[in-house]
Amino acid sequence: MIKWLLLSYFFLLPLLADEPIVPIPLDEPIDIPKAKLGQELFFDTLLSRDNSTACVSCHDIYSGGADERSVSIGFNGAKGNIQAPTVLNARYNFKQFWNGRANTLLEQATGPLSNPTEHNMDPKKVQDRVSLSNKYKKMFKEVYGTYSITYELILDAIVEFENALTTPNAKFDKYLRGEIKLTHEEQEGYKLFKQYGCITCHNGINVGGNSFQKMGTFVAYNASTTFPDRSEITHNMEDINVFKVPTLRNIAKTAPYFHDASARTLKEALSVMSKHNLGIELSNQESDKIILFLETLSGEAPKILDTF
Amino acid sequence: MKLKGMIYIVLIVGLFSSFAMVYFYTKQKAFSENYKQFLSAMYYLENAEETLNYLILQNAIYTYHNHDAIAQKQQEINDTFRVLQISKILQDAHYKSIGLSLEKLQSQIQESNTKIEKFLQLNAGVKNSLLFLTRHIDNAAESLKQEQCSQECKDIFLNANLILRQYNNAIRMQDLDYIKDAKLILSNGAKEKKNIDFIQSFNLHATFLQEQYPQYIATTKSIFKSQIGLTLQQIRANFTALALNDFKALNAFSIILFSILILFLTTISFLFLIYMRENKKLLETKESLEYSLVYDQLTGLYNRTSLEKKLKTIEHPHFMLINIDSFKNINDIYGNSIGNALLKKIARLLETKLSHIDNIEIYRLGADEFGVLFTNALSSKVLNIAHILEKNIASHSFIFGELEIHITISIASNFIDPILENADLALKRIKKDPTKRVIEYRENLNLKKSVQENLQMLETIKTALLDDRILPFFQPVINLKTLKIEKYEALVRLELKNGRYLTPYKFLDTARKSYLYEEITRIMFEKSMRVAKVYPQYRFSINLAMRDILNDTLTKSIFEMFEEEKEVASRIDIELLESEDLHDIELVQAFIDKLHSFGSKILIDDFGSGYSNFAYFAHLDIDTIKIDGSIISEIATNNRKMHMLRSIHNFSHGMDIVNIAEFVETQETAMLLKEVGVEYAQGYYFGHPLPAPLERDEIIFS
Repeated sequence: MIKWLLLSYFFLLPLLADEPIVPIPLDEPIDIPKAKLGQELFFDTLLSRDNSTACVSCHDIYSGGADERSVSIGFNGAKGNIQAPTVLNARYNFKQFWNGRANTLLEQATGPLSNPTEHNMDPKKVQDRVSLSNKYKKMFKEVYGTYSITYELILDAIVEFENALTTPNAKFDKYLRGEIKLTHEEQEGYKLFKQYGCITCHNGINVGGNSFQKMGTFVAYNASTTFPDRSEITHNMEDINVFKVPTLRNIAKTAPYFHDASARTLKEALSVMSKHNLGIELSNQESDKIILFLETLSGEAPKILDTF
Repeated sequence: MKLKGMIYIVLIVGLFSSFAMVYFYTKQKAFSENYKQFLSAMYYLENAEETLNYLILQNAIYTYHNHDAIAQKQQEINDTFRVLQISKILQDAHYKSIGLSLEKLQSQIQESNTKIEKFLQLNAGVKNSLLFLTRHIDNAAESLKQEQCSQECKDIFLNANLILRQYNNAIRMQDLDYIKDAKLILSNGAKEKKNIDFIQSFNLHATFLQEQYPQYIATTKSIFKSQIGLTLQQIRANFTALALNDFKALNAFSIILFSILILFLTTISFLFLIYMRENKKLLETKESLEYSLVYDQLTGLYNRTSLEKKLKTIEHPHFMLINIDSFKNINDIYGNSIGNALLKKIARLLETKLSHIDNIEIYRLGADEFGVLFTNALSSKVLNIAHILEKNIASHSFIFGELEIHITISIASNFIDPILENADLALKRIKKDPTKRVIEYRENLNLKKSVQENLQMLETIKTALLDDRILPFFQPVINLKTLKIEKYEALVRLELKNGRYLTPYKFLDTARKSYLYEEITRIMFEKSMRVAKVYPQYRFSINLAMRDILNDTLTKSIFEMFEEEKEVASRIDIELLESEDLHDIELVQAFIDKLHSFGSKILIDDFGSGYSNFAYFAHLDIDTIKIDGSIISEIATNNRKMHMLRSIHNFSHGMDIVNIAEFVETQETAMLLKEVGVEYAQGYYFGHPLPAPLERDEIIFS
């Protein structure tokens, strides 16, 4: 028995190690009551100054976890300056925001809340608002054993909810686990994805989200507007137009694409990427196959949404 | 109490040192935990840094690589660094240099992270272009299988391969030399459409590579040249050295604390031992005090206090008071230690001899006094026991080494209240009688009466002195040759209130034991001298005891009177009564010399009785001897006495000493005295003592 286990281990290990994409774990440990409290907060417009905006307003977790608008509309109808990235599987990103200015989800969460064009709140106000609610008082007591609700606890709960927002069991993950086979076209698409070098940046558990890359490595990409890019953090001219490589998980559901929402469809996005970052031109056939592969990256809706 | 104070102080010190020990222990534990935490974080960082370098190397080499591992490692390094930064051990000023080194490390890590970020960007582009070039050539080769390849096509194909190899080498060797000299692109001279397209695509990527390579290789190299590993090693070495010193200090401190604790434990044990011993001593003292309240320390018998207590509790006591005869002499001769040992032996002997008798208790009451208390005993039985005891002890030999001591005891037995006092009285009585050793107290012993009489007599003397009823009587002394009265002896009388007179035999002994005696003597001198002044035809003599000479105030006042009346003084003679306790002959002689200077003469009274001592005559200028009445009164009937008389007279004659015979009561005696040659005589035959001398010197025979 042990012999078999050892054997299978030695066979499987190199296989898994070789594959640059890793499936999403099925059993991430989650504190459910806390996550549910986070969900309540995530959906609550109480957290915006004019009671118009909730986290979910721009991160539609029922479809893709992102905003289908080019830029989000926040406080008093103010427009954001960048396309909202998906919140789904955000925990697997090495940094948060397009330019990676937050190291953790906790750091990230306070951003939109304080942003004048988004929730336009401050920690004190958030705390006061939530503290006034009897519903929250009860929930916080249950989760944290205290009636004194602090901004830190509020963020903690939201982050726990965000941690629960993973989309496991994508078709591709099942394939990686050896549970199913991909169709021929999908298989071809994955092969092209690798051959053309998409995989160089889009790898890891989130198929991206683990490095920074210039938009237009190969052929310069002229962004029509100035977006908050990596140079804002590093103050390095070389980092202009450098963004965090976005995740390709659930990519079929998170149009529009790119930080500037310039691509409305996957096909458009593929064509832009292959031209500017790979210096190639994809045939129709190739790009269709790749799209078929990308669609296998759509996972199940987060379990927490079905949990009561 | 001082000891107790010390114990408390030491206890407090001990308590403090224990607290210090606990405090120190927690400090030390915290320190070593912090130390371990810091060190393990350091090791972890070193390890993570190696791993990170390894992952980057992997990323550079592998075409496909998962960035997650790199990002995760970076995150871990950041987190671990945070742990180091907030490590409690660095709060100590002592470790400031480590804190500064950490700042340096932080900037190195940040720099490295920036470089890695850059590397990943560059690496993606370079890898993808290399991949493209490879595939571009592969695709062309694939199409060559179906189509004809012109010379142009072949050249391009060969060149393309060459160029790709250069790029591949450059990346493998991380060496720019492979690409920096030549322009590594295909020349644009192609004519065939197909070839033109190939060249265009190829050159697009080749140009990109040539542009990117310098930056890419420089970045890669600088990542691997990072000083982080070195810095980490230095920090760890410095930290370990600092901590080692701290550990040494802690160690020394722990040794000191431990020593204090040991010292404390020893001291407290020592003090406790002392305390226990003192306590024991105190207890022993208490016990011995309690013991000495009840028991005699020397003999272990009950003491006088016990007896007094006991006497109060029992109804029919019968007490036997035992006194060792002349015990003082035993102490004087053999020393106190033998005396004490003897007392102990006597105590044991008493216990042994009386062991068979029930209901008795043996006591030691004083230096040489023992007592036996009988309860409900027959008087005859007690007396019997006393006799046996007395005989037993008298026949017992007390042996001390080679010394053998024999003692006698006197026993007074008594059952009449007050028990002790009566026994005492009886004992005193028995002491006066050398023939008796055992006595039982009886009311008819009149022991108490004599005491009472003594007291009454003292009272009588006192009032007599106050009422001036002490006076001299005068007895004539006859010159046997002329039969004329030549002198008078003044004899003291106490006139009672009823007009009768008491002779000195009745009251002088009592007076002698009190301060009144001196006053009586003075009065005798005063009054006699007053009388003598009136009778210048006679000499007078006044009695004085030898020991009176030792009384300075008395002799002084006598000589004062003599100084005042020198003529009278020259006719006053002093009759000295011998006594046993006179040893200072010189003093007596000085007194005699002084008397002689007044013309006064010295008589030795009652010579031939008691302690008559010829030695006096060798040293003292004696004028006259009065031969004792016990000789004189019997010279007519007793030949021996006659001989004694003659001897005394012959001896006196030889020394120019005059003799007076007293107690001459018959004519026959007077005749005999005259025949022997005795010069003077006195006695009832010649005249009784009279209140005043006779005017004429004729004898009036009655």
